[in-house]
Amino acid sequence: MKIRLESIRACLEGVIPGTIATRAADGTPNIAYLSQIEYVDGEHVALSYQFFNTTRRNILASPYARVAAVDPHTGAHYRLSLQYLRTEESGPLFERMKVRLAAIASHTGMAGVFRLLGADIYRVLDIEQVPGDTMPPPPQPCNLLAALRACTESLCGAPDLDGLLARLFDGLQAHFGIEHAMMLMLDEAAGRLYTVATRGYADSGVGSEIALGDGVIGVAARERTPIRIGHFTAEYSYGRAIRDNMARNGVDGIDTEIPLPGLADSRSQLAVPVMACRQLVGMLYLESTQDLRFGYDEEDALVALAGQLGVGIRLLQQMQEPAEEAPPAAAPVVPAGKPLSVRHYAENDSVFLDGDYLIKGVAGAILWALVRDHAEHGRCEFSNRELRLDRRIRLPDLSDNLEARLILLARRLVERDAPLRIEKTGRGRFRLCVRRPLELVDVPV
Amino acid sequence: MPDTASSLLDAAHVAFITGAVGINLAACRPGGFPALSRAVGCRVSADRGQVSVLVGAAAAADVIDAVRRSGAVAVVFSEPPTHRTLQLKGSNALVLPPEPGDVALAHAYRDAFSAVLASLGYAGAVVRAFLSCPDDDLLTVRFSPAAAFSQTPGPHAGEPLAGPS
Repeated sequence: MKIRLESIRACLEGVIPGTIATRAADGTPNIAYLSQIEYVDGEHVALSYQFFNTTRRNILASPYARVAAVDPHTGAHYRLSLQYLRTEESGPLFERMKVRLAAIASHTGMAGVFRLLGADIYRVLDIEQVPGDTMPPPPQPCNLLAALRACTESLCGAPDLDGLLARLFDGLQAHFGIEHAMMLMLDEAAGRLYTVATRGYADSGVGSEIALGDGVIGVAARERTPIRIGHFTAEYSYGRAIRDNMARNGVDGIDTEIPLPGLADSRSQLAVPVMACRQLVGMLYLESTQDLRFGYDEEDALVALAGQLGVGIRLLQQMQEPAEEAPPAAAPVVPAGKPLSVRHYAENDSVFLDGDYLIKGVAGAILWALVRDHAEHGRCEFSNRELRLDRRIRLPDLSDNLEARLILLARRLVERDAPLRIEKTGRGRFRLCVRRPLELVDVPV
Repeated sequence: MPDTASSLLDAAHVAFITGAVGINLAACRPGGFPALSRAVGCRVSADRGQVSVLVGAAAAADVIDAVRRSGAVAVVFSEPPTHRTLQLKGSNALVLPPEPGDVALAHAYRDAFSAVLASLGYAGAVVRAFLSCPDDDLLTVRFSPAAAFSQTPGPHAGEPLAGPS
């Protein structure tokens, strides 16, 4: 029976390093260890090109190579007959391999030694299993197809984005055993991702932002490719991403920075682009304190799940504004007590409550519009539809996920224990609950 | 023992390549794909002029065929904890039956290399499986190293080894 490349992907994880045999123009053989073998698709692998060494010289002279790889779970030993096709020096595959190589280097004490110059793409012509003893494969901790089915079924029933994300995290926990997850949405105009919901962190980090290209999540988002790391990687750790973020944003970045959530001792990370109709909607990020927690099969399952998620988000977005009647207004609560200072800086739409930073950007502009309408017209009931048309808010574009901004704003108000709340009153409608008198201060640009 | 002019290897190299290191070899038959295989032990002649690596006839069938046809071989030795790596090349390789003591050598190699990998967290049973080789299947590939290269990852990878002075 022909051995399929996708069925031996565990061998490519580099747990037991592979070797490559090549031939020089004069027929002299060469053999070298491989730091990285990347599965590209069912017929291709990519090897990292890091130095102009004998292997490199040889494959340019004669493109045929053999690679040996061992399954770390069973000890099964395979040989792949390869044909070198080309080298990629940029793009999603290159960037994915660069991040993964940094993880391998960090894990093997080779940080600063390994440097990716290119991704060498090879066609896999043949795979053979080498005669030898093997161990039975260990039982799988979960059936990924069953988990995927259960999760996608659960997503289908979500009434709104908030419910969709809650079901997503519940499903990841119950069916995949994934305890630490976050969902970030794309703000395309700003070139940034903002955290809208998380699960499994001491501080939720909702409202934190990351630029496209920063850290594992930012690179995966920019390149629209999933990135999976199996070891702690200083180069792509959260501490690093936070420092980069601060450096880029300068002083403003310190005042209004919500720390990104993330495990300090993260050993496995998986960043999955959430796409709908080939457009990036956001990023699903999963991590674990275990080494090699996510394999190729987990990546496949979670990419498939992210596809369902993307479609779900887009569908809910299109469904969210029915022409329904406004619900009866609640009996107005007369706010009492010491006035709450709500200070708005027009420069970046940041809002401070009693001097404490709450939110900025589009969510900040929304809150400022709501409290002004409340102060000037006594309004408490609002609809998504009117916000979408409100010129004060300057939504980046019509496809922007207003619902996600509202979830973010509502969560921040709860987390800061603010005497202001946003409560959903129906599909596309919500109420601003004000428990203390407001004192608005606008700081123009 | 005096160094012979034909040996590239000093006593430290010999200790390294006959120690608990991973051993893999490659050979090319004319017109064919490069062949490669894992080896399960190594011994060096008393004058350090000849290196023999032990292979399983079934697992290394391609390499054995290529060595028989071309005589050219490349063998890489690597120590997992340090990544120290050495490659030897020869052009006069022969496939020979095992000598007395080779079966015991293969067993000792498997025990020693398994212990090193176990200390790095690899599962013992898996390691023993992929290093397994039936006793009656052993063959040796013997050659005189004509070139030696350090392949320890880093700026000096690939540089020829300075022979003993």
